[in-house]
Amino acid sequence: MHRTGGRSGKTVAVLVVGIAAVVLLAVWGGQARSASTPQKSSAGLTTSASCSGAPVHGGNLVYERQAATETLDPLNPLNGNGDIFSYNLIYSGLVRSDPTGKTNNIVPSLSDHWTISADGKTYLFHLRPGIKFSNGQPVTAEDVAWTLNRFGNPKINAIMAAVAVGFGHASVANSSTVRVQLQRPVAAFLYDISIWPAFILPKNLVQKEGKAFYSHPVGTGPFMVKSFVKGSSITFARNPYYWEKGKPYLDSVKYNFVSDSNTRILALRAGNAQSMDVVPFSQIKSLAGDKNIVVQTAKVPLFLGLWFNHLRPQFADLNVRKAMQYAIDRALINQQIFGGLGQIPNSVLMGFAMDAPASVVKPYPYDVTQAKALMAKSKYPKGFSTTLLYPSGTDFYNQLALALQQEFGAIGIKVKLVAQDTATVTNAWFTRKYDMVFPFASFTSDLTVPDEYADFLANWSNGFHGFESSWKDPAINKSVLAFESTRNQAARAKQWAQIQQALMNQTPVIDVLKLPFINAHLANVCGTDLDGLGSDHLENTWIAG
Amino acid sequence: MLSYLVRRVALAIVVLFGLLVATFFIIHLVPGDPVRIVLAGRASPATIARVRHQLALDRPLWTQFTLYVSNMVQGHFGTSFTLDSPVAQIIGQRLGVSAALIAYGMLLSLLIGVPLAIIAALRPNTWLDNSIRLGTTLTFALPGFWLGLMLALVFGLKLGWFPVAGYSGGIVGILQTLTLPALALGLALAGVVVRTLRSSLLEVLQSEHIEATRSRGMSELRVVGRHALRLSVMATATILSINIGFLIGGTVVLEQVFQLPGLGSLLVEAVEKRDYQLVQALTLLAGAAVVLASLATDVVQAFLDPRVKLSGR
Repeated sequence: MHRTGGRSGKTVAVLVVGIAAVVLLAVWGGQARSASTPQKSSAGLTTSASCSGAPVHGGNLVYERQAATETLDPLNPLNGNGDIFSYNLIYSGLVRSDPTGKTNNIVPSLSDHWTISADGKTYLFHLRPGIKFSNGQPVTAEDVAWTLNRFGNPKINAIMAAVAVGFGHASVANSSTVRVQLQRPVAAFLYDISIWPAFILPKNLVQKEGKAFYSHPVGTGPFMVKSFVKGSSITFARNPYYWEKGKPYLDSVKYNFVSDSNTRILALRAGNAQSMDVVPFSQIKSLAGDKNIVVQTAKVPLFLGLWFNHLRPQFADLNVRKAMQYAIDRALINQQIFGGLGQIPNSVLMGFAMDAPASVVKPYPYDVTQAKALMAKSKYPKGFSTTLLYPSGTDFYNQLALALQQEFGAIGIKVKLVAQDTATVTNAWFTRKYDMVFPFASFTSDLTVPDEYADFLANWSNGFHGFESSWKDPAINKSVLAFESTRNQAARAKQWAQIQQALMNQTPVIDVLKLPFINAHLANVCGTDLDGLGSDHLENTWIAG
Repeated sequence: MLSYLVRRVALAIVVLFGLLVATFFIIHLVPGDPVRIVLAGRASPATIARVRHQLALDRPLWTQFTLYVSNMVQGHFGTSFTLDSPVAQIIGQRLGVSAALIAYGMLLSLLIGVPLAIIAALRPNTWLDNSIRLGTTLTFALPGFWLGLMLALVFGLKLGWFPVAGYSGGIVGILQTLTLPALALGLALAGVVVRTLRSSLLEVLQSEHIEATRSRGMSELRVVGRHALRLSVMATATILSINIGFLIGGTVVLEQVFQLPGLGSLLVEAVEKRDYQLVQALTLLAGAAVVLASLATDVVQAFLDPRVKLSGR
């Protein structure tokens, strides 16, 4: 008995010492590795980091992403940007958005030039010579035509069928040219095929491997998948066959999936990562004060969309909706909650590059007197009670909801606030069981042009019930349909300004504020421009010594 | 003994079936479903309706339940819609991380808790004893996410000893990435270890058997190390096994804070997306772990302690 006790005592002691030693070794090992990894030596950034020189090759970028990648199948995204940001590294399309984000233009990618028939229904895409997939296999016109026909098939491209509306058929014109026939002119067609559902895949491999292809996909993007640990991280290696000469600069990119914003910030500050996305508004000041960190904002189609249920008689009353527009003190909300980074909207949808300026379509000013006058003219001069549903767990929604409750209260609208998890909120929006709702924690457009979302809102034939608001306006619907098929850019700009104004007048929904994407990275991470959709172009990113 | 085991296993099956029924109806009665969450806002309502039909989500709840139970009986956990993979495969990929975290956390709780409990028992009601009890009560009471963040702040950000988040495999990788979350878990559980072991030790130290040992001139440390500890450890082991549920709950929070790809973070994700198949399978698994741990403790206790008679219960 005594011996047993003695042994257990010694065993515990040995165990303690052993574990401590191994942990110390592990720590030491980790530190040793950190020290030998150039981009982790963040301590020297302030003196040595510089993005003013020429880009240098090499280095491994660790990027903390809020949303996890769940699938690499570009026709079946399961987790929004979590999947899309990985697609953008692995695959590419015939055309793409301006990677610098400076313009809203569509620029060449796998196709270096194209022609459009006079009636706007036939496109001839000429493939860039010598392009290859990441396994070295040449990209053929057959691959392109096959991919685009999948994109245009609503049974295969079920989730993003809205961006393939009007697509007819793709065929091989010759070994380096693909012909696309549309059913009718689609003004946004080049924008439609610039995003992930139209990214080019190798026909032979997808047909041979089926679903298994997406566990080790092959594409034409700047990187290729090296390892994918679901729920944890995805690591990409440089694609040696990438078509842009000399790019990408980085040897590898690792996306760590970190949903907690505090943890993302800690990882960046500790030098465990070099970049992070979705910086919370409440943390911007603190991060911007760190001389080793650059906080980057990008103008994207992201907004705080407040939805009315027009089946409720109060919100079917135009005077009420307009009164609520006037009742919102957007400048105060912007300053107090969003650190002045938001933009006061002059449309009801998210900000699009072709939006008319505020001098043409004027924003609603904060005018309580006007708001009260409109309420007096409405069917509810004494006000009414209603409910505002919004997603819980997002840092700013509580403050925003409280501000709106107070401001609407000033014109007699008593608002009960209900915070629910995003799934419940989205479900209520989708089934139209709400009074007022912010349907998503983050609400962005898939395109930089307004065609898709204007259609969702105005066109009832798409089955969206006025984008689940139950609002209907045949005149605006007609204008939107004409806009979608007008190819002349000047004419489109004029049409959109009119639609934008008409939507502002009708206020089917309210854009409370337009918001930017906010990322942060260490000061020695260079070439970090986001395109107009807020997507990184990591083929341009490099790490300064 | 055998009849006792049969009875306990039968009871465990009833408990797990009850858990299965409760989980199924609770998660289905919460608004939202996986298809709408994943596809709403992009896919057309017609597409969403078609996919819901394919997944039988448009059928009456009772029909969905019978379908689910019949699949479970045949050993089919189903396929996760939101992750587009078989549930068993997803759980298999993530089980190791959570198991390692729980084991490491439990080990650290013992390494921290046992010495502190001995010190507290040897100096009862002194400032030392009170400080230990206060300290461990505090770490037990602190919210897991806060404790985790503080550890990440100190040992990750300030000292740079450990990464603040993420997971790596292998012994070195596990020690690097799981030490902080396991410490958060261990510190919380150490409070339970200290309280149980201390009171058990105090009781044993006053027994005649220990008095007799002392009278033979042994030092107090040897009395505790060789005699009292052995007699007191069973109560602590029992408490630890009962706390398996606490540990599983702790992993849910800590895996979120430290972004570990384990079953806890998977459960949070599954609930957020109303992934019914995954939520049901994970809840059942956690329930089974608690039931089995409790059963195993009883059996082991019976083997180790002749005073415990299983058949008599």
